[in-house]
Amino acid sequence: MTSDTPFDAVIVGAGVAGALIAKQLTGAGLRVLLLEAGPGTSQSFNGYSRHLQQFYGATSKSAESPWPPAAAAPQPDSSDLRNNNGYFVQRGPDLYGSTYTRTWGGSTLHWLGVSLRMLPEDFRMHSRHGVGRDWPLGYNDLAPFYARAEHELGVSADVADQRYHGVSFAEDYDYPMQRVPLSYSDRVLGAAVDGMTVWFDHESFDLKVRSYPAARNSIPRGAYQPVGAVDLHDDGSSNPPLLGGRCQGNTSCTPICPVQAKYNAGKSLAQADRRYLTMLVQAVASKILVDPANGGVQGIEYKRYQDPASTRFTTAVAKGRVYILTAHAVENARLMLASGLTGPRGQVGQTLMDHPALYAWGLAPLAIGAFRGPQSSAGIEDLRGGAFRARHAAFRFDIGNDGWRSTTGAPDSTVSEAVMSQRLFGTALRDQLANLLSRQVRMSLAIEQLPDPANAVTVDPQYLDALGNPRPVISYHIDDYTKAGMVAASGVARALFRRAGVQDFSESGNGSWFPSVYYQGREFHYHGMGHFSGTHAMGDDPQQSVIDPDQRAWQHHNLFLAGSGSFPTMGTSNPTLTLAALALRTADHLVATLQQ
Amino acid sequence: MTAREESFVALSVLLTGYDSVHLLGTGMAEQYLAILDSILPTGMVDDLLAAYQRLPQGPQREPAAAATILGDAKLGPVARNLIVLWYCGSWTQLPAAWRATYGAAPQDTTHAVSADAYQAGLQWLAAGAHPAGAKAQGYGAWALGPEGR
Repeated sequence: MTSDTPFDAVIVGAGVAGALIAKQLTGAGLRVLLLEAGPGTSQSFNGYSRHLQQFYGATSKSAESPWPPAAAAPQPDSSDLRNNNGYFVQRGPDLYGSTYTRTWGGSTLHWLGVSLRMLPEDFRMHSRHGVGRDWPLGYNDLAPFYARAEHELGVSADVADQRYHGVSFAEDYDYPMQRVPLSYSDRVLGAAVDGMTVWFDHESFDLKVRSYPAARNSIPRGAYQPVGAVDLHDDGSSNPPLLGGRCQGNTSCTPICPVQAKYNAGKSLAQADRRYLTMLVQAVASKILVDPANGGVQGIEYKRYQDPASTRFTTAVAKGRVYILTAHAVENARLMLASGLTGPRGQVGQTLMDHPALYAWGLAPLAIGAFRGPQSSAGIEDLRGGAFRARHAAFRFDIGNDGWRSTTGAPDSTVSEAVMSQRLFGTALRDQLANLLSRQVRMSLAIEQLPDPANAVTVDPQYLDALGNPRPVISYHIDDYTKAGMVAASGVARALFRRAGVQDFSESGNGSWFPSVYYQGREFHYHGMGHFSGTHAMGDDPQQSVIDPDQRAWQHHNLFLAGSGSFPTMGTSNPTLTLAALALRTADHLVATLQQ
Repeated sequence: MTAREESFVALSVLLTGYDSVHLLGTGMAEQYLAILDSILPTGMVDDLLAAYQRLPQGPQREPAAAATILGDAKLGPVARNLIVLWYCGSWTQLPAAWRATYGAAPQDTTHAVSADAYQAGLQWLAAGAHPAGAKAQGYGAWALGPEGR
């Protein structure tokens, strides 16, 4: 690269990985160009508020409802799943149930905020359990970066709650903020469930309703200052946060935190040094230009549009010393494949994973105060690890504070049932709703999935978006290892409800439509968790992986692919904290090499 | 408030189980009446209000409402939609048979009425909660038991 190259780094994608890397690089005085495919409407407080109004007025309150796509940067939508007629071209045999958002801030705009570390054994699935593959990094390699990521994202938890299954912390370490208070319903459920023993063959586990680390602002420890709402302006100026310093309990982490007490990638971008950062929104990366002689990237072609409603664009090329794809596990793979870059042994796009998840829902014997607080505040983590992983998938439970909202569409569905089916009205209706809604309990059972080369993102020239960029073509199936995990998880949920006196509605047929898989004569309705991963997995062996442990492409010396696409396996933790830790590790590497 | 609006609110009190202070406090009454007027065939809202005015006072009032309003082939589906409108802030498309008999307006689609209507839904009040994404109870309030516990 020549010395007059204007940028040190070109980053594709203004989500969490890109934001963290941009912040670190600009903080070191390195010049960064950040390309974002979607609009930048969430940068200003007023713009963000318009997204909130859009959510209030939306008929479907889906995860995507506040964040509609630009015509030039389409995105998957959960309402497209049933008829398979959306952005994804799904080849099956099973439906990939998750979605993501292409806009400034990425899917952190509508994530739940769960910020679990992976377990030490998650990094060694092949050595330890004989399934999947090992990471080229171990828990101890990542631990310091986990700690940094917890500060960058603003994670609330107490270390005392988080030591289980070998998860360890540096001496004197604690999270930057105190744990988010457990909800009343968590405490009621915990009183009934804590100490319940589960057996898998000869191995026993004692369950506990446990506060999970959440990237939602709580009471700070020491000198830590919670970061609230973003208000960036086109001229580069920004206002200090007016609100969002504490979680207010809006029960709306997904799809939009009204006060931005929950982390989104915009917060990291607002902290980047603007003297060194150039941001281009509505700039869709379309092709990676590679020197055929040595594999080095010479530029990234992008298509810029002025109007989110239009597909008119102009084409330009971004140039830097290094190029970092942080566009999303699917979009990174899609851009590589659209550029003819298939990686070692064609592995780009392969081993796509998610956490296929089941819902369990029921009615508590007494009012537990549903529909209040953050969408969830506790989980059950005890079955995330164990010798049983040689035979079936591990899983974790998320315990909701939002009634049956995600399972049946409550409270609206509860109202509709009472009014339209039971023909209730007046005080009888009001009393019944008060009784039922306040007792609704929901758990999500998120099941691990192993890497399988047949589960893949590909491209096909016959499926193009409005700009002529190829759409993701997805082949996906859920194997017996995961299905056996579904059997185990649903059995634990049933026993847990019985012990807590919760009337189980999971098999009642009153749930919303979700895709199904079948196993041992049973039907399981599953939903995606948005945990896309594995599409450009890291490894030690240049033949068996796409990137090295620094997230550098084996075949392209100045190209990095960052994000959950880098995960060789995914364990049971929500991927954001781990991908943030990896991004910080890669940023350190980039700063060290680019400053030479 | 006009006599017609007063009658509409009184009917809504009977249907929802919430008193007029609650209903007027939402600020939505006028908008909801306008929605009925715009979606339903001419004169049907007045038929509904007239049926309400004919209800007897006393213990027979609710059974009579069940029979002559909610049990009526024409007025029943409209009254149920009005209840859902108050509770959820959304309009539900009327049943196909009803549309075939009484006429289908183009606006008769299942839809959220407005951002305000969503936040004003009585369902959140019934749950002892707040609309998801609005009117939050504040940091840590979720750790307290539901009202009265």
